[in-house]
Amino acid sequence: MLAAWRRMNPLARREALEAYLALSPWLFGFVVFTIIPIAVSIFLSFTQWTIVEPPTWIGIDNYVRMFTRDPLFWQSLKVTGLFVLISLPLKLVFGLALALLLNNRLPGMNFFRTVFYIPAVISGVAVSLMWMWLLQPDTGVVNTLLDYVGVRGPNWFWDKDWALPSVALMSVWKVGGSAIIYLAGLQNIPAQLYEAAEIDGAGRWGRFLRITIPLLTPTIFFQLIIEMIDSFKVFTEAFVITQGGPLRSTYFYMLYFYEEAFRNFNMGYASALALFLTLIILATTIFINYTSKRWVYYESE
Amino acid sequence: MWQRSRFISLVLFALILVIPVGGITLAQDVVTIEWWTVNSEEYSEEVQRALVEQFNAEHPNIHVNITVLPESGFTERMTTTLGAGSGAPDVAFFWDNNWFPQALDLTAYIEADPDINPEMYFEGFWNTRAVWQDKIVGLPLGVGANFVMYNKDVFDEMGVPYPSPDWTTDEYIATAVALTDPELRRWGGDRPRGPFRAIWRNYGAFPYSDDSTTVEGFLNSDAAVAAYTWLWDLVASGATPTPADIEILGTEGTGPIDLFLAGRLAMATLNQGHVLTAVESGVNFGIVPEPQIPGNERYVNAWSLTASVWAGTAHPDEAYEWLSYWVGPEGQQFLMENGQFFPSLPTVLETHPDADEDYVQAFFQVLEHRQVAEWVNAHPCNSTVLRAAVDAWDLINLGEIERDEVEATLDSLVEPAQAALDECVGRLGG
Repeated sequence: MLAAWRRMNPLARREALEAYLALSPWLFGFVVFTIIPIAVSIFLSFTQWTIVEPPTWIGIDNYVRMFTRDPLFWQSLKVTGLFVLISLPLKLVFGLALALLLNNRLPGMNFFRTVFYIPAVISGVAVSLMWMWLLQPDTGVVNTLLDYVGVRGPNWFWDKDWALPSVALMSVWKVGGSAIIYLAGLQNIPAQLYEAAEIDGAGRWGRFLRITIPLLTPTIFFQLIIEMIDSFKVFTEAFVITQGGPLRSTYFYMLYFYEEAFRNFNMGYASALALFLTLIILATTIFINYTSKRWVYYESE
Repeated sequence: MWQRSRFISLVLFALILVIPVGGITLAQDVVTIEWWTVNSEEYSEEVQRALVEQFNAEHPNIHVNITVLPESGFTERMTTTLGAGSGAPDVAFFWDNNWFPQALDLTAYIEADPDINPEMYFEGFWNTRAVWQDKIVGLPLGVGANFVMYNKDVFDEMGVPYPSPDWTTDEYIATAVALTDPELRRWGGDRPRGPFRAIWRNYGAFPYSDDSTTVEGFLNSDAAVAAYTWLWDLVASGATPTPADIEILGTEGTGPIDLFLAGRLAMATLNQGHVLTAVESGVNFGIVPEPQIPGNERYVNAWSLTASVWAGTAHPDEAYEWLSYWVGPEGQQFLMENGQFFPSLPTVLETHPDADEDYVQAFFQVLEHRQVAEWVNAHPCNSTVLRAAVDAWDLINLGEIERDEVEATLDSLVEPAQAALDECVGRLGG
């Protein structure tokens, strides 16, 4: 690096210095608020730390406990994995469907785009409380409407079989944010491609499958990564509504992490849990990225 | 003449030099104490600011700087600040026992202070909130307790006699059933908010041994089975709202006060703050302790908040001065007279503006019982073990098991609860 610096002419050196100077606020923030906390968290994951007393080095004990002696770890991992499997496809499909609807050229469309985007910017706690009311078994709006059509609604958040799907349903309600990103992707697809396909006799479904979807794959790829990470981090709904119950059916990984860190004062173990989740997300992202070569098409290709 | 003028000039010049220096010296003598507190019904910001102003006016050498934090985020803020090892307040609520290692040992201060002594406070609160590992880590501020509030009008309407203070758990269910009216969507009584609280303790049930070594024979003891079976009977009676009803229709996390005020719950386990709300609402109510088991010692869920001086304070003397004022007779009297606050000092509590009212007298009587917190505060792994054994609670509340399966369910939870206890004791001690 030093040799490269020496080989640079004075103008290039000055430009490089100016670039680093301009980057320095971000670099400072990145080091202080990201790199150092990650490094400290890695260190703490090998310690026992009750927060108010100094950490004690215990080697890999936290990890051994996690994999061999902690049923709550496996339960929270199972519940979170299930939630990702249920909610992720739903969010991707409904987000795209909503974007397709919002892509129509109809009067007042901007109003509807705004309305559907609003859930994405409302506080998670407020949304949780609203859904608690909506899904209340006896007096909630949803079950009251179901009653009108002769269907006895479930106990939703208060039923061990329905609690997880209820939280997934809540997450689908917030797809307005991803729909806006899909919409941007849809509007980037050149109209002449559709015109040419129409002249060639392609129907609506054919145009959707052979033009829209392939040209939207970069956006789908982005949404897949972002929504996957978001799903793994699900916390507020369980914290506010179910506290992980009933019968731990919504005992998400992040809730367990929070309880260990701030209720159980087990910060070393919580750090190990956090690191493991990071590794899971990293591995999943790498896997999706690897497969993307086969299904993501860029305009330049 | 000239010499005289020169002398006066010199004196004036010297005064000009000395006065500011003297002023600076005086300013430096004022010690600033950082105080973190919360804003709640019991501890209103307005009243606490007035108390600080009064203290600052009476103590020119100390300036208390108040920081009012939201109650919901106080725990996280204190935990992280104490963990960071710097920037913690000189004086604050230390309401989590896990913070006690960072509280200043006040033993020497208390011994030297003629105005504060342990006998002034309710014994139970002193033992559970002030003393930790043979040290005095703080002073207990305020009192609260759970008791059963009953709606006299509903009892009269249904022709059911009012409960007596010595009523039993079986009588509780029978009374709740008699008061329930499905047509009016009214339930007779609520269900406990968690296991191993007052009623479990009244049955003589503990989640694990006192020395924090054994779960077998405790979590699944005859007493615990009896307590869980009582819960099963209550749930099966249909006389109590479901957890979903309580969650939605009872908007306060501390108890179903809304359902009680609306007349949809004839008996509810509430606290002294709810009493004031009920008084304001004009509800005709009475108070009794949670039901007992004949022949067994009686317990109550009661609480007080520990107020402490941070061990890392640079001004321990001044911090103690403020603490003893805030939590001493003067401060608690002020908080009681100006807000919805019940003091932890019996002599001050006796002067409560409503001391002659039945509900305050009933509250006094509830405070005479032994406290669940005595055991809980001495056993830091209590909540960890209960978390591992939560299935029994959930299964009964959801109606997922039969009455004769209660014992087997508790037996099946012994192993995970024991594992949780062993792990926790290794970390937090017994």
